[in-house]
Amino acid sequence: MTNHLIEASDLTLRYGKKTALDGVSFAIPKGRVYGLLGHNGAGKTSLMRALVGLLPADGRLSVLGLDPRRQRGELLGQLCYIPDVAVLPRWARVHELITLMSGLQPRFSAERARALLKRTSVGLDDKVKNLSKGMVVQAHLALVAAIDARLMILDEPTLGLDVMSRKGFYELLIDEWCDGERTVLISTHQVEEVETLLTDVLMLDEGRLVLNISLQDMDQRFVALAHDPAQAEAVAAAHPLLRYRQQGGRGAAIFDLDSHDSPPEHVLGLGERIRPNLVDLFMALTRKPALAPSQS
Amino acid sequence: MQQSWNDSAPIYQQLADRLAVQLLDGAPPEGDALPSVRQLAGQYLINPLTVSRALQALVDKGLVESRRGQGMYVTAGARERLRRAERARFLEREWPTLRARLARLGIAAADLDWKEQQ
Repeated sequence: MTNHLIEASDLTLRYGKKTALDGVSFAIPKGRVYGLLGHNGAGKTSLMRALVGLLPADGRLSVLGLDPRRQRGELLGQLCYIPDVAVLPRWARVHELITLMSGLQPRFSAERARALLKRTSVGLDDKVKNLSKGMVVQAHLALVAAIDARLMILDEPTLGLDVMSRKGFYELLIDEWCDGERTVLISTHQVEEVETLLTDVLMLDEGRLVLNISLQDMDQRFVALAHDPAQAEAVAAAHPLLRYRQQGGRGAAIFDLDSHDSPPEHVLGLGERIRPNLVDLFMALTRKPALAPSQS
Repeated sequence: MQQSWNDSAPIYQQLADRLAVQLLDGAPPEGDALPSVRQLAGQYLINPLTVSRALQALVDKGLVESRRGQGMYVTAGARERLRRAERARFLEREWPTLRARLARLGIAAADLDWKEQQ
């Protein structure tokens, strides 16, 4: 037995010549808020579909102790999943969806769904087609969160929502799902919005897992240094992962203390240590060389 | 969309500082309970682990204490301890900068308005 809800080892997935996932390995324990970050086309959706058995990936994969390819039916009865193309039937009223879910999902609680929906502005008699996009997503979250499960997988759930709807969505998620036991894996490319929500980060770039770290460890491993213009050259010479400007225009750089060319001690004295934020780190680790000549 | 966090310190530290400022203002007062981890997580949109770390930082400073099964409570004397720590920090870190600026501008103590605004 293992304590991990998900164990993936060397997952590889190709569409013809294109490699969607390239030897991805990771393990996800309980009680976490995992962010799956990547640009469009980085492999986020492919990975999530593989996790729920909708795409066949090579390698070893165990989700809730099950093999998603062979035991997909059993697996889908035990986890909450909102795909990126999630749609609720437009003709249905919300209370009809509750009835539908009760019939489909053995672990679904209609009572809990109604309680969760009370927190939203969605009424039980509302028709899906009359709801705003933000309300539909909140209703969807309320429905899947009413499944008694240990794992929730959300693929770009807030894409296309306005700021108030996104905030409402995350509030519902944090309040009603994250209890220290259950885990959620949430993919997004709107990194700045989820940074404080996450306990851990998986970063995908062109199918490869370029970072798998807890936010707590991130503060230890990556050092951001704000410096005066006079130090810019010395900082640049120490091979930072990324150089950028803070709000206000002060120069800053991020160093990886784990890398083979981590900066010598004196470099860290050239400026003031600040918190490396996830957006900057994301840019540093997934940045593609602009207009790079194709290597064919 | 969220409360703004800056990049001066880790998020848990910033949350701890923010809660400490509220304690200094008497919210909540000594002996009273702090909001639960889940309430704080929902309010600030921060994951519960980070909220717990922030609360632990306040415990380490002796400002709040954990009562088994009941959550976190503001300790007796927390405000005074906090005030002393803030005073020390002001005198050590902020005052030298401020004094240098006053000197540069030629402002003496008598030039300053010491009456408290209502």
